[in-house]
Amino acid sequence: MPFSFIDIEEKKSRVISFLFVFIILFYFLTAFLILFVVENYALRSEISFKYFFWPPLNHIAVIFLIALLVGFCHWTISTSNLIDKMSLVIGAEPLDAKDAYHQVFKNIVEEVSVAIGGTRLEPLVIPSAGMNAFALQDFNKRACIGVTEGLLARLSRSQLEAVVAHEAGHIKSGDCLSTTVICSLSEIYETILMKMNSGFRGLRGRGAGLAGLVYLVIGFMNFMSKLMRAFISRQREYRADALSVRLTRDPLSLAEALELISSRWRGEGLPEARMESIFIVNPKMNSLDDASGFISDVFSTHPPIDERIAILADMAHLTHEQIEERLKNFKRVSPVVSPETKSAEGIFSTHGRWSIFLNDAWCGPFSLEELMKIEAVKPDTWVTPEGHAVTKHAYEEGALIEMFKERGEKNDFDCPHCRAPLIEMSYEGAPFWRCSCCEGSFVGQDKISRILIRADKVFSDETLRLAGVVMKEKEKFNLGITRTKMNNAWILDCPKCRSKMRRQFFVYSYPIEIDRCASCDSIWFDKQELEILQYLYENKEEFFDGKGF
Amino acid sequence: MFCSISSFKNNIKEGRFGVNSCKNTGIKSSLAPRIIFTVVGLAKEVVMVLIIFLVLLALVLIGFLIIYNMLVTLKVRIENAWSQIDVQLKRRHDLIPNLVEAVKGYMAYEKDTLECVIKARSQAVQANGMKDKSEAENFLSQTLRSLFAVVEKYPELKANQNVLKLQEELTSTENRISFARQYYNDETARYNTQIQMIPIVFVARMFAFTAKDFFQIEDKSEKEVPKVQL
Repeated sequence: MPFSFIDIEEKKSRVISFLFVFIILFYFLTAFLILFVVENYALRSEISFKYFFWPPLNHIAVIFLIALLVGFCHWTISTSNLIDKMSLVIGAEPLDAKDAYHQVFKNIVEEVSVAIGGTRLEPLVIPSAGMNAFALQDFNKRACIGVTEGLLARLSRSQLEAVVAHEAGHIKSGDCLSTTVICSLSEIYETILMKMNSGFRGLRGRGAGLAGLVYLVIGFMNFMSKLMRAFISRQREYRADALSVRLTRDPLSLAEALELISSRWRGEGLPEARMESIFIVNPKMNSLDDASGFISDVFSTHPPIDERIAILADMAHLTHEQIEERLKNFKRVSPVVSPETKSAEGIFSTHGRWSIFLNDAWCGPFSLEELMKIEAVKPDTWVTPEGHAVTKHAYEEGALIEMFKERGEKNDFDCPHCRAPLIEMSYEGAPFWRCSCCEGSFVGQDKISRILIRADKVFSDETLRLAGVVMKEKEKFNLGITRTKMNNAWILDCPKCRSKMRRQFFVYSYPIEIDRCASCDSIWFDKQELEILQYLYENKEEFFDGKGF
Repeated sequence: MFCSISSFKNNIKEGRFGVNSCKNTGIKSSLAPRIIFTVVGLAKEVVMVLIIFLVLLALVLIGFLIIYNMLVTLKVRIENAWSQIDVQLKRRHDLIPNLVEAVKGYMAYEKDTLECVIKARSQAVQANGMKDKSEAENFLSQTLRSLFAVVEKYPELKANQNVLKLQEELTSTENRISFARQYYNDETARYNTQIQMIPIVFVARMFAFTAKDFFQIEDKSEKEVPKVQL
């Protein structure tokens, strides 16, 4: 029989109840040990192990009640509102309805939901350039599948489908719920640990005894979250791979996707990497995952990636090397028409008439004066100049930009340099604001990774030239000097929150000067800087001898 | 010679076993204990057999119920899977007019292809019954494929965001249809296997659970061996 969900449901509830018992037991032991320490060191002068082996019954009863209470609180807090809390920790967001990449992802998730028989799946996206995917599920059978922007931009449609089917496999085979619960349970420790680490640093001098006790508890918590990982079997990844192949009948795409994910940055260092067990590939590279044997079988959450690829490649009658070979020339087909390619045909006449795309239909053509009166025409509306079979955004037409300015488009933000109103546009599908005077760009913190990772934009020769100059300059620079020179230069005001922006490099590998807001982390790029940065990021192999950074 | 059956029953009921219970039947005292022991032993066995028989009957009944419920679940799941296919087919029918509208302006010379798509769509919408439906849908798939082959020839169409979006929607719908079909066929296969298995087959026969048809591809071009031209 293909996957029979009845057995799985039973197994699922068994794992969960086992987990609950385990937590109660753990708290019981911890409380007992604390009591033992207190009993021996605080109340008596000499150490007696008699208490350890033969404690009074009423003490045990009290400890058990305390453990039950604490365990119950922990459990209730962790498992309430499971998905919202976890997606907040991971930094996942709902989809952007306007974006073509997100639309494709939403379609794929819905397709897979049909394939598993109609279970509703919610798509989520992590605004990060790393490559990873995850699944979440809670007790109310609500299920989410999320991927990073990096994955959306770099994987082909069928590869993305295979990854989503893998995550759906986790949800259908039932291990997703226990994984989510375990992650949520240990998440509390992580939060407490972080808060304590900062809080107790100052306290250490005053009450060393108390601090010692606290560190003992913290050590226990660390140990506990490690132990709980042991509940997560490595085998479930193999099983989800198998289910993905069963759903899509396409082992090759999944093998390719795993190869692509594993050979690039998986998202280590981001806050979400803490929740390693819910991801398709462990964001941290570690030797435990690559090893086989009893210890890694128990404590590792992911099997060796090479082994997974080898199994899948074998299904497709290929070897691992052949898959690597295939991927060398792989390029994702973009779901959007890049506006930049079209403007290469030449600048349109400034006086003319335009057809506009409104409410899913073309209307017009209208003259400039008529367009002025149509409120629904926005800078990112699609327009086609009369006599040309080309579609572009309104903001790409010089005449229309002038019109928007005249219309006094009510804008939220002003340019920090020239105080002109910023016009909202889209760049690689991400909304951003551009000043039409100085051509500087204002980008929100969560959109920058989407812009950098997508490769639809075609760069002008000017950008290429400037990028070359920047990289040459970088070689001349001593980064140490520039760092001290650049820091703490507060020049501009943030258009969004009006606080000061700090002038710094985007990252030291790409010496692009940017202004980053100190409070909301939004970034101001001067003219061409955003394009140069994106060009450098996309062609980093060329500039860094293929090593990345 | 023997005690009457009714007196045995009474004895068993009242728990009186032994010599006294048979005194009134007038059997000689030396023979009586032996016969009584045999008879009482026999009665015990009868009761045991009765109990075992009843338990077995109950087990069979419970098994019967479980099997029946399982078959009903499987059958409803298949019906649900079938309605899923319908939903996705409807989605495709709704998308096609939009696509034709978007493409029409550019493809003045390809009227035939467009008309073919429109005709195939209206046929598919009107089709009733499993066989009709799958034939009409397969024909629609074919015409859509030829339409997209034509779209490839027009660079302006390929550079039209709206057409690209519709193409993505249609690709997605095609995938959904094939996934829904796959799910339907998987469930049907499971159901068909189940109703032919040994204990289940009796229940299935009794309540007329008959084998379901698979949703098959009748597309001739897909079955043909591709010709290799050298």
